Amino acid sequence: MAEQEAVSVQSSEGEIAIEASDLTKVYPPSSKAVDHVTFSVFRGEIFGLLGPNGAGKTTTIKMITTMTRPTSGELTVFGMDVRSNAERVRSLLGYVPQSVSVDTDISAYENLLIFSKLFFVGRKDRKARIKEALEYMGLEERANDLVKHYSGGMMRRLEIAQTLVNRPKILFLDEPSIGLDPNSRRDVWRSVLQLRKQYNTTIFITTHDMSEADALCDRLAIMDQGRIAAMGTPEDLKKSVGGDLLTLVVPTDSDIPGIPPEIGSLSYREGNTMEIVSENGDAAVPKLVALLSKQGITIESVSVRKPGLDDAFMKYTKKKLAEDLVATDARAARRSFTRHAG
Amino acid sequence: MNVWKFFSSSLTVAEMEARRVRHDPTELFTRAIQPALWLLIFGEVFTSIRAVNTGPYTYLQFITPGVLAQSVLFIAIFYGITVVWERDVGLLTKLLSTPSPASAIVLGKSLAAGVRGAFQALMIFILAVLIGVNLRLAPLDVLGVFLVVVLNAMCFSSLSMLLAAILKTRDRMMGIGQAITMPLFFGSNAIYPTSLMPTWLQGIAAFNPLSYIVNALRALLLSGDYSQLPVDLVITLAYTAVFLAAASIMIRRLLE
Repeated sequence: MAEQEAVSVQSSEGEIAIEASDLTKVYPPSSKAVDHVTFSVFRGEIFGLLGPNGAGKTTTIKMITTMTRPTSGELTVFGMDVRSNAERVRSLLGYVPQSVSVDTDISAYENLLIFSKLFFVGRKDRKARIKEALEYMGLEERANDLVKHYSGGMMRRLEIAQTLVNRPKILFLDEPSIGLDPNSRRDVWRSVLQLRKQYNTTIFITTHDMSEADALCDRLAIMDQGRIAAMGTPEDLKKSVGGDLLTLVVPTDSDIPGIPPEIGSLSYREGNTMEIVSENGDAAVPKLVALLSKQGITIESVSVRKPGLDDAFMKYTKKKLAEDLVATDARAARRSFTRHAG
Repeated sequence: MNVWKFFSSSLTVAEMEARRVRHDPTELFTRAIQPALWLLIFGEVFTSIRAVNTGPYTYLQFITPGVLAQSVLFIAIFYGITVVWERDVGLLTKLLSTPSPASAIVLGKSLAAGVRGAFQALMIFILAVLIGVNLRLAPLDVLGVFLVVVLNAMCFSSLSMLLAAILKTRDRMMGIGQAITMPLFFGSNAIYPTSLMPTWLQGIAAFNPLSYIVNALRALLLSGDYSQLPVDLVITLAYTAVFLAAASIMIRRLLE
């Protein structure tokens, strides 16, 4: 993939935390959830996989966290092969799945106690680690409440606290802010950034949310249909769109002329709306207006904006990352959470 | 992975269940309703009409161990649904993402079913004493009953987890649970001696682990004759070990 090489940034400094090469997962009979994916994540970095539901993001996390075995390809965590060192690899990780992963029928303290035992935290360290994790995520005051009385944002913070008792080297967050209100979302982001700052924790997130990817990630990979379409820093990905974006709306029955290269190139068209990529948007507007009026085409509106990650996403996948591509069941589950009576 | 760490993980998973029960014990009482009906209605009626020849024991005495085994079977056989539910939210994924091995988690889950089974045994002891069923209540026998009940729960809950790993959805688990509990129950010696069954059914009952569990419970609660107890326990243990091993290998399939 030439495009991928064009935008990938080689931050050569630092130790490699995760290295995947030609990583593939095939679910029988032949659905390729992850298709020859190659990437490296450096220690202390916040790395994101950005893509719609079904792109293969969660499957990638599951392979790294040894929840499911790769069909082929290489995958190492701090130099250890995940297949032959599954338990050692897991002892270095923390994983916060997309849906509710705390036991809502017991208290927050009890959740952390159980998980500190399952992470083999020594008896004498347990209390201090639990206290620290609760304070860190701002939950110490309600530590003895049953988790079912928590709000969605508090549950999310508890889920992160649950992994912190292990002092993970790498933290995996699968759609960290899905279903959260804007305030809780910012709280979660703040904690994530602080974790990296304070402990130099490597953080691997998946998200379908452009603003989340932009706010958190040092580098990200745009993933679609099991493949990485592009990889780089959010800035580089936005720049790689190639300039400013002009959105032009004309009456439905107009004949649209070709766009000359000195204005820009047509990137997208739907009905009477067109998007043109131009090196210098502000200078291109008068040229475009002149061109169209010469041909007798009226303009309903024209606007210029700087490209965002969604534009980069569209450039590499030829798709819009629309809300309807994203499953809503997880957030529904988080909002109306009740335990099955079984 | 050393042995101590392995069992400590299993006990931790069981501890999680015990803590759930402590926070909300309602289910312990609602679960006791069905066996109470078996004893109070079915047991009393069949005792008075003397329809089944149960040797030296009254019919009510005879079915008390059977009803205990059956009620624990009912709890355990639907335990896989809880595991599927924990998969549907993210809890199972999180448990399996700890360094504790999957087999330790599965063993822990079966012990957790054992915790619920033990409470069930306690309820039935209380009930039996209240309605005046004559049982052997020597401390060692009572302790033995609790151990057999925990084994009973482990056996069928690990079978249930194995089925859950294959079937993967709650609806299918409800269906299979309904479909196998009745044959297991009626194809055992829980409410009538196997000698009253047609020969073909006796052949099937000989493979039914529930029959061996009921035998062990009858030896402890009624006869005090322990000569067959080792055989009953070894066979039940063997079934449990096979189900646990298979469920441990298969459990990650639930995440796919």
